[in-house]
Amino acid sequence: MNQPISQKLFFWILVVISIITLSAPTLVVLGASLTSGNIIVFPPDGLSLKWYEALVEKQELQDAFIRSIWVAMICVFISLPTGTLAGVALTKYRLRKRALIQTYLLLPFTIPLIGSGIGLMLVFGEVGILGSLWPVGVATAVINLPFMIWAVSSSAAGLDPDLELAAQSCGAGPVQTFFYVTLPSVMPGIITGSLLMFILSLNEFLVSLLLVDARIVTLPVQVYNSIRSIITPDLAAVSVVFIAVAMLAITVLDKLVGLEIFLKSK
Amino acid sequence: MRRNPSSYPLTWHLMDILEAVFSKIWPKGGGLWNPYLMLSPAILLIGLLVLGLGYIGDISLRTLDTSTFLFSEEWSLTNYERALTEPFIRSVIWRSILGATIVTMITLLLAFPYTYVMVRTRSAFLRKFLLIALFLPFFIGQVVRAYGWLIILGKQGIVNDILGLVGIEPLRMLFNYPSVLFGLVQYMFPFAVLMLAPALTAIPEEIEAASESLGASWVETMLHVVLPMAKPGLIGAGLVVLTLSLTDFAMPAILGGGTQDFVANAIYDQFFRTSDQGFGSSLAVILIVIGSLLVWVIFMLVGAGTLALGAKDK
Repeated sequence: MNQPISQKLFFWILVVISIITLSAPTLVVLGASLTSGNIIVFPPDGLSLKWYEALVEKQELQDAFIRSIWVAMICVFISLPTGTLAGVALTKYRLRKRALIQTYLLLPFTIPLIGSGIGLMLVFGEVGILGSLWPVGVATAVINLPFMIWAVSSSAAGLDPDLELAAQSCGAGPVQTFFYVTLPSVMPGIITGSLLMFILSLNEFLVSLLLVDARIVTLPVQVYNSIRSIITPDLAAVSVVFIAVAMLAITVLDKLVGLEIFLKSK
Repeated sequence: MRRNPSSYPLTWHLMDILEAVFSKIWPKGGGLWNPYLMLSPAILLIGLLVLGLGYIGDISLRTLDTSTFLFSEEWSLTNYERALTEPFIRSVIWRSILGATIVTMITLLLAFPYTYVMVRTRSAFLRKFLLIALFLPFFIGQVVRAYGWLIILGKQGIVNDILGLVGIEPLRMLFNYPSVLFGLVQYMFPFAVLMLAPALTAIPEEIEAASESLGASWVETMLHVVLPMAKPGLIGAGLVVLTLSLTDFAMPAILGGGTQDFVANAIYDQFFRTSDQGFGSSLAVILIVIGSLLVWVIFMLVGAGTLALGAKDK
């Protein structure tokens, strides 16, 4: 289908504006981290890696990064089995009160993040576990769980129920059927969901801010605290860590399941 | 020609053991596949959230005695009355609602053509490029993105440096309402595209060709064919953008510099600056009610769109 020039022009102007808006902060942070000056100016003073070298000595930034990785791993550890079971159940079975269950499972999205964060802060405070790191992981699992369920349920929709029946008529028990038939067929969803959970948990800022204290700040909170005081290029170098992790995640996602999975209609 | 069972692969034995354990626990078989049982971990996990809401609701009904810093034993609606009458809070609530509405409209306006081009292009390379340009910011997180905008728009930022080169006085582009909205649009954009993409993919290209072969211009085809068919996706995307920007904290905090607070910032301040958890909780309840009302009204008017989880029977 040939599109008329006016249509192409209209769409492309908006698309180019979008691309610039989307990419500008990333590119600028990358550029700023490479400056050789002490402040961030344009045009840059010159190129150097000295701000990356400076990171080696910043123990508190490294600690914050490692804590963030822990939080993200705890989040995946909890949400992977939970979300997979729920996603498969939602797609494979006719449920009574389906609408009610769906609404309930979407609560993490419909309740504002500040509400969820403060609610969890009060709950964890009551139990007396505020101040340790693992509740932060649990919290990020709770608030992002619908992503995991969505990823698994949209790939389970393509699962042919006859396959499971075939496995069972060949003598496979329920456990074998689940591990050899059901699970492999929803694997793209599990991979996509887990990656999303990991990245979102790693980047989670507000809920982290509410649940951590000065001893266990995570990297996003650390960056937030620093940009409120003064903007120096070493912060840009730290931010590049996030960019690098994001790029890695995108590459992995693309290699394993293909980014195009997000364009698929359910 | 039967093999000795001990020579079977290890995984077979493992599976036999698992099956045996399984049938011990659920002798009737298939018990675990009871869907409600499979849903229970998720329901329990989200139960934490419901419990938290209970706590918020409870505290929101208790007033803080400023002389003793203790909460009242009795429940009262004092906090809510205060929240709804205090001019400062009212202006914060209106700023959030207005901001979320503007952000939703701009985001949808930009996200629709982006998604359309991404879905329809013949070039696999362009599609991949647009996907990566979308996912990179999505995966980077709000704080780093806001930091990028600080570098670009700040008083000594890149835009002002460039303006300075051509002799224009530095402009104050940060810490105002437009900069917060701008940051929010950029933050919401990937969410909107990801909600829209499946809906646009589901529209067969032949329908557009049919419309055009019947004499419709591309504008008419868009308005009368593509947009109505993409409605579920637009609703889903609009709902996500509206509720997320209504309740956002980071962009108003970083790009607004304390002068452009949204409700979430006001709640945070009540908890961590003023230490009036009761008043802060009542604000949180009000925010939840406003958000749910908006979502409910849109659900009633136009349906859940693509938001329904795992629904096959659409």
